Amino acid sequence: MRRASRITPRFLRRFWRGLRDWCGDSAYERYLRSTSAKSGASRTLTAEEFYVERLDRHYSRPNRCC
Amino acid sequence: MKRLLSIVIWVAVALLGAGALGAIAFNRGEPLNAMWFVLAAVCSYAVAYRLYSAFLAARLLVLDETRATPAERRDDGRDFVPTNKWVLFGHHFAAIAGPGPLVGPTLAAQFGYLPGTLWLIAGAALAGCVQDFIILFCSMRRDGKSLGEMAREEVSRRGGFLAQLAVLAIMVILLGVVALVIVNALKSSPWATFTLAMTIPIALLLGVYLRFVRPGRVLEASLIGVGLILFVVVAGQWVAESPAWAKVFTLGGLSLATALIVYAFAASALPVWLLLAPRDYLSAFIKAGAVICLAAGILLVRPHVLMPPLTRFVDGTGPVFAGKIFPFCFITIACGAISGFHSLISSGTTPKMILRESHARFIGYGAMLLESFVGVMAMVAACAMPPGVYFAINSPASIVGGTPEAAAATISSWGFPLAAGTMTDLAHKVGELTLLNRAGGAPSLAVGMAQIFSNTIGGDRLLSIWYHFAIMFEALFILTVLDAGTRVGRFMIQELGGRVWKPFGRTSWMPGILISSAIIVAMWGYFLYQGVVDPLGGINSLWPLFGISNQLLAAVALVVATTVLLKMGRLRWIWVTLLPTAWLVTITMTASYQKIFDANPRIGFLSFANVMAAQIAAGKIPAAKIVETQRIIFNQRLDAGVTAVLALMVMVLIVEALVQWYSILSRRREPVLHESPYVATQWAPDFSGAAHGDD
Repeated sequence: MRRASRITPRFLRRFWRGLRDWCGDSAYERYLRSTSAKSGASRTLTAEEFYVERLDRHYSRPNRCC
Repeated sequence: MKRLLSIVIWVAVALLGAGALGAIAFNRGEPLNAMWFVLAAVCSYAVAYRLYSAFLAARLLVLDETRATPAERRDDGRDFVPTNKWVLFGHHFAAIAGPGPLVGPTLAAQFGYLPGTLWLIAGAALAGCVQDFIILFCSMRRDGKSLGEMAREEVSRRGGFLAQLAVLAIMVILLGVVALVIVNALKSSPWATFTLAMTIPIALLLGVYLRFVRPGRVLEASLIGVGLILFVVVAGQWVAESPAWAKVFTLGGLSLATALIVYAFAASALPVWLLLAPRDYLSAFIKAGAVICLAAGILLVRPHVLMPPLTRFVDGTGPVFAGKIFPFCFITIACGAISGFHSLISSGTTPKMILRESHARFIGYGAMLLESFVGVMAMVAACAMPPGVYFAINSPASIVGGTPEAAAATISSWGFPLAAGTMTDLAHKVGELTLLNRAGGAPSLAVGMAQIFSNTIGGDRLLSIWYHFAIMFEALFILTVLDAGTRVGRFMIQELGGRVWKPFGRTSWMPGILISSAIIVAMWGYFLYQGVVDPLGGINSLWPLFGISNQLLAAVALVVATTVLLKMGRLRWIWVTLLPTAWLVTITMTASYQKIFDANPRIGFLSFANVMAAQIAAGKIPAAKIVETQRIIFNQRLDAGVTAVLALMVMVLIVEALVQWYSILSRRREPVLHESPYVATQWAPDFSGAAHGDD
């Protein structure tokens, strides 16, 4: 029982994080942590800029199949 | 001891799978329970994954855990993002799973449940998963290069150009066919048309929310959107029951086709954040939910499969589409067993996000197994309804007759008993004006799904809600394929046009955007139009054309994979890709030949055109219908030409590859692999993508 109460919150936390990663909810947070953003080589985008730029790139190549 | 236990378990799984496959193959008596299908599929997939994919990973591709993937080396938080393997599996599956594995098996059910089910399982394990896995591996080793780029580098420049053209041609045919599936599902259905139409303002609302109110908060926006969509599914009933509103949303084939063309043009030309992306988010959630519900429904209800294992239509006289079991069963199933289109995803986003080389096995091979399982579930849903009902929904009026009485008499005469009142009652129960002659696979799948869902929750009272939920689910993600595909097609046309005139290639130049969007929409719109006016129902001509083009693209991908394997010195295991390539070339070339030249006018495009031309010459066509008939003749000849050009392009690519293979094997040329150089990973062996600062 104690083991279950320890494992369940961890599983739910991982599931929640996985769901956010899967649907793109955490994409901006990921971008801020990325090597290129951290290096400061180019200006860091705002959340809105990043969202629009990411979508433009994502939907310019085959991304949904038959 | 542990090893012995593992061997015992895997032998037991293999025996269980073999027993279940034997049960569905040799059953000739009482209707079979659907659990046999689930058991046969799951055990076969487990064995294929455990043994065959492990062999591919260890012996053929020699995946290297110490090698840094492109996501690690080029991590930019945009394209190259190291991603947990379960999350990436979800991404990849959401990208590859479209309407194909649902519609294809539903149409192929006309041969009986057996051929389609066996091909779904065997085709996926031995061909489809192999293609997805190896192309993902090749692209991962080349910094995420596309299939066209790999064909150019590894096969030849001409090969790369041909692959690019083949992708564009397939995209056009695919979009035309899936649009036709929506038109046939929404025709004369105010409830379904209203529901789908309302998804547009909902998507616009979410687009504005995600752009200006809470930028990038996809999860909360999608949950709001899913709630609104479920509401409009229910609200559709009120629209259908209101005579004034029902009239507004009751549209014929041509009106729906025009609406779809206008919509796709707008979605392609408008900013992507406004309409296309929010719709895609909604579609992904609804798709995941509906697939999980279907699996749960089948497990809970355990319906009986009423379709016989083989029907009389294996001889090629099927009412849904004409053509013998070989090659048309394999062409029709398409995406559930092997899909060339997947190679574009496997060489697109996924290889740039993969964390470790070993994950390619789970993502490339595993996601395709899951897609095949979706195909098996669609087959179960289609075969769980009485066969008479299945044929009444999927057969065109020109074959079974346009009235319930005529359809019941014709279908009963085939040995599938159907009372005249059955279809009227069923249509009434699901809230439709009619369910007759609704070729395309979507309505019959929706009836099958609704029956399974309503047996779980709600009974007959909720049948109409479940039916329209299923139609909305299919139409929503077909529409997503349509708008995302139109936009990608626009980019391809701009890229090709940019080679001739540079400004046309600039993706932000408004005249270029409008002209290229108009061109791509006109191209697939014409196929849609010809499907809508086709006297044989459109699906009969266009679905096989789509199947052929999709399988031809798979042949292209496997030829590229074979070339890479030869260059890697894997001659001993070359049969892994060579056998599926040979099989695909055989079925696609046979099907192409038959679709062009067969003497049966329901199969051969040219003979159908000739029959119509002879009828005009003999004065059998009324003067008012001559122009329409001439257009049908033109369409059939166009389809024959398109099939021939596609087959020819792939043949040229194969010849190019054969020359390349000969020079490698005869050591006339030193094989040059275009892999990125080896860089050792900096990550600890247990790094799973979670420890990026958020665990």
